[in-house]
Amino acid sequence: MAKKILCIPLDPVHDVGIKLIRNQLAQHGHETELLSPDLPMEAIVKKAAQGKYDFILVSRTLGYGVAELLARFNDLLDAAGVREVSKIVIGGKPITPELAAELGFDKGFGEHSTIEEVLAYIEGREVSNASIGPKRSKRDIPAGHSYKFYNPVVERLLSEICDKLIAWTSTKTSPGIERAKLREEILASTDEKKRAALEVRYLSLSDDAIRTSKTKNVFPKGVRRVSNTELDALKDFLRRSRPHIPSTIQHNPDQPLIFKFLGSGCPLMDITHGKICERWGVNGFLIINPSWEARYEGLLDGYLTHENDGTITSLDNLRLIRQSLDANTLLTVRAHRGLNTPETVLLAGEAGADLTKIDLVYGSLGAGTDPQRLAVDGVEAIRLAARYNMPFDIPGNDELSGVPAWKTLAGLLVNVMLGVKLGAKPILKPLFCYGPHIVINGQMKQNFVDYNAAKIFALREIIDCPIWPGEPIAFMTQTEERVQSANSTSYHAALAATLGVDAITIASTDEAYSRGPISITSRIDSIRAVTDAFRFMGNAQIAPTRHAEAFTEDLIEQITDVLKEVNAKENLPQAINAGILGSEEDGAYPGKFGAGSMSNEQ
Amino acid sequence: MVDKAIDAVMDAIDIETYLVCRDPNEGKALALKLGQELNLGDIDIMFEEFDGYGVRVRLRKYIYKPGAQYRWLTH
Repeated sequence: MAKKILCIPLDPVHDVGIKLIRNQLAQHGHETELLSPDLPMEAIVKKAAQGKYDFILVSRTLGYGVAELLARFNDLLDAAGVREVSKIVIGGKPITPELAAELGFDKGFGEHSTIEEVLAYIEGREVSNASIGPKRSKRDIPAGHSYKFYNPVVERLLSEICDKLIAWTSTKTSPGIERAKLREEILASTDEKKRAALEVRYLSLSDDAIRTSKTKNVFPKGVRRVSNTELDALKDFLRRSRPHIPSTIQHNPDQPLIFKFLGSGCPLMDITHGKICERWGVNGFLIINPSWEARYEGLLDGYLTHENDGTITSLDNLRLIRQSLDANTLLTVRAHRGLNTPETVLLAGEAGADLTKIDLVYGSLGAGTDPQRLAVDGVEAIRLAARYNMPFDIPGNDELSGVPAWKTLAGLLVNVMLGVKLGAKPILKPLFCYGPHIVINGQMKQNFVDYNAAKIFALREIIDCPIWPGEPIAFMTQTEERVQSANSTSYHAALAATLGVDAITIASTDEAYSRGPISITSRIDSIRAVTDAFRFMGNAQIAPTRHAEAFTEDLIEQITDVLKEVNAKENLPQAINAGILGSEEDGAYPGKFGAGSMSNEQ
Repeated sequence: MVDKAIDAVMDAIDIETYLVCRDPNEGKALALKLGQELNLGDIDIMFEEFDGYGVRVRLRKYIYKPGAQYRWLTH
């Protein structure tokens, strides 16, 4: 039923908020009147008494002496009998429900109140979360990209490099590939005896630490099983908790998706952090595994928690996280790090993940896996990603070791071509960072815009491929100072929005603090900063200077030269070992895990 | 509802303040002492910035680290 409402800007200047609320109330069918902001209090009270309003909405900014003024206003309303027929409501930036009650009002709305809350109060109903904000939807990141190459020289070089790599790997297998096949059989089998026999074969291809954990229930240091009590408590927590007035980060639908890392070590903590981040509008998460997992042949099973960084890759953990998050939240699982790349992709696919993360070059240079082993495992992993219809993102984080951007971008493009040839959907992840090579060589001496923009321009001149800068954006520009960190993330997010990229990964404001896990408040800090940046930018543009064009031309030429050198080698691992995609002088070292573990396929 | 408010802390308590002091070392000592006086035990100084008059600090105390038993979950 329509209500009769008088809107009073009891403030000499600020009447914008009450005008907005009045418009919304009118749009919802209520009968509203708005007074001018300069009326004397007695005239307002006379009007309020004559009109027999259901509600009187007062807008006022607080300051010295305002409490007394509002108390007098309430006294006058009382004396005129207005309070007997009307509910008196106050709104203003610093108003809280407690303060409103203290000042004698029936209800108060403050800075974080929403129109929906005001409407629900006026209409005498509960606030409906479902009706607030746009519903979450899942964006298909590669959709709309053709993977068409615009640079024929680069296309030819990449094609030749990848053909040689696919041919070289075609006769090889590894314990990682064999375990992935066994795991698939185990998951498909309903015969207990057969499963047990397959498990024995799986363990014969695993390291002692994995065997011990499965046969003797003795886990690596800091790892324990999640108890049934904890799992039940999580279910209860998820059942009784709901996002209150969920918000979105994007101001318009063209702005990039926002991803955050999850990988606290504990799936329960990941899930609770994830649910809160969903409320604040985060679109997706990247599951990060522990560094020690990279060194072991074989993966652990079950619901497992871990005291240190990195959440353990088990099917139960991945499924628990996937099922606990909103169905429209995107989930990607890091696979390229270590000796379990194909199996990790398999588990991600089985758990219902949306994407996976594979980079044959960075995984060899920055994550310690032998280039030959990762080449063999990586090709199989990309095939599995294609089979599960999971796009894979390719992070260029080797740049953080000191590798020049053009070498990193060349490596990313090799992965893209490999993905295209194997029927998968690759996603480029150039860094928005102040990397060591850039610091030394001064490409960001003038600003942080031109060189980051040039990376995107260069890639777009080469191929139409989805681009998702990371990882996270603003890497090495953030300090331990919270406001600076949030600002830096938001400026880089604004640049990403202006460049029209598909997604970005953002840090938390404790990103530069390395002595403990990420806290939920720090996560929210950076999300809020990016939300404001997106609102600030809207559909406007940051204009790079003319230096960005020169950087773009240089990058394309340098990428082409690197790819020529890679193509001159017999295969990709040989090029990586020769330092063509990042040398010891740059700060990159080919990994050793799994060296010599390949065999010819039977 | 949990019995104690501290049990409801999801992971960490951060304290941001400005401590009047003569030099960075005094600021650091005061920051650590503040954690003790607030009964938070050992705290970590996440950030400190001395400006001549005092030190702007952000202190952190982890109530729960990953892998712990979270009372806000299982109470």
